[in-house]
Amino acid sequence: MPARGALMLSEKDNVATAVEEIKQGAEVPVRLGREVRHVRALEEIPFGFKVAVADIAKGAPVVKYGESIGVASVDIEKGRRVHIHNLAGARGRGDLAKGGP
Amino acid sequence: MEFLGYERPDGSAGIRNYVLVIPGGLLAAKICDFVEGTRTILTADSGSGRTGRDRETVARTLIGLGRNPNVASVIVHSSSPGAGYPELRPSRIAEEIARSGKRVELIDVAEEGNTFRALEKGVQLAREMVRQASMLRRQPFDLDHLAVGVKCGASDTTSGIAGNPVIGNLFDRIVEAGGTAFFGENTEIIGAEHVLARRGVNERASKRILEVAEETEERAKATGEDIRTINPVPANIAGGLSTLEEKSLGAIHKSGSAPIQGVLNYAERPGGKGLYFVDNWMSATSIFAGYAASGAELVIYQLGGGGSRGNDLLHPTTAVVSPLMWTTANPKTLAMARTSIDFYSGTVIEGEETIEEAGGRLLQTVLEIASGTLTRVETIRHTDPTQIYLKDTPF
Repeated sequence: MPARGALMLSEKDNVATAVEEIKQGAEVPVRLGREVRHVRALEEIPFGFKVAVADIAKGAPVVKYGESIGVASVDIEKGRRVHIHNLAGARGRGDLAKGGP
Repeated sequence: MEFLGYERPDGSAGIRNYVLVIPGGLLAAKICDFVEGTRTILTADSGSGRTGRDRETVARTLIGLGRNPNVASVIVHSSSPGAGYPELRPSRIAEEIARSGKRVELIDVAEEGNTFRALEKGVQLAREMVRQASMLRRQPFDLDHLAVGVKCGASDTTSGIAGNPVIGNLFDRIVEAGGTAFFGENTEIIGAEHVLARRGVNERASKRILEVAEETEERAKATGEDIRTINPVPANIAGGLSTLEEKSLGAIHKSGSAPIQGVLNYAERPGGKGLYFVDNWMSATSIFAGYAASGAELVIYQLGGGGSRGNDLLHPTTAVVSPLMWTTANPKTLAMARTSIDFYSGTVIEGEETIEEAGGRLLQTVLEIASGTLTRVETIRHTDPTQIYLKDTPF
């Protein structure tokens, strides 16, 4: 079976990882174990990058491996690429600690 | 599940058969230039101007490398800037290594009269010692005699999905068979420490895992910098990884699912067998020598590589006495560095193999290397300098 679409790693995940080069507008098969669902890519998702499989509100956790990998820094629509432009880490943030309480 | 190894007096089994000359420096380097089958550590970390804690780490590294089962016998010399400190006295290093029952020879430059006389003595001694080592024959050992250490690097999203879980499966198999496995990288448990802490074999192990994450995060915050400008490294981000949490959650998959026996310091030898977390630094120039000093006979670099370009000859080793094998799950990385990579697990992403099947195949590759097959990068005669993981300010 050739690699296609994107992989989710836990049912709690709201992002999936592209295992092929995904073009804008493509109906992407998203695999979680044997289950397959479809998400329309709103933009190009390069191999290895993440696509939102649900709408994620600004400030809500982005979940992969069933765990938080950071918070959405803007509202993220289902089908959008999720990377450092719309996802912010919450840990080890010396820049925040400096101006923090 | 057996491999062919060299029996050592303490009951351990080496997968290579070297004579080690320590500490590093001119005398050791020149002895090794002359004599085939020798190894030395190439490092500027002599212990000079370092705190007691850091000098002890340097000593632990040298002693651990000497005790590594891949080492048949050891020459300790006195020509090092750190040799005057009590922790680093050549006689102390030699005695602690000799407790393993292996042959240790001391060369005192002052006693020989000068460096060139010491060099002559060292070369002749090393020649005799490698010849003696070569008389030993490999014999079968069970997997419980094997210890391996892993680092994941230039991680991308293939690392967390396939590369690391396949290493984790190998670790489960080794630990299940009674062997020993090390994983580490203290920055890269931040965001995943709660998941790891649940696997501590007792409360102390779990507590130490959380403490290491907290200490590391505090040190990161104290810099005043956003850790994302340090780690994830640019190659991670170019490979699709976004945050430290995402990197960490993928990284810990390389540890498999076995209970964690405890947390070790850099170069610390474990009290028993099983899976250990090492409080070490992620740098390849540091981590592998530390694992070798902890007793790892083989070290593994699980490479993502999605953010790398045109780097076909991956660097050989800094583990000093333990061979390095490279693995990847990224098809582009495999295509880029086919002559350096020993194992490919992208089959899991391609749907051709399960993690379990790839783990079984990886174990076979490991057993072949343990029995004497060279890793691809082991064919290159080059050693990068080692940075011993020191935590204090130098003075």
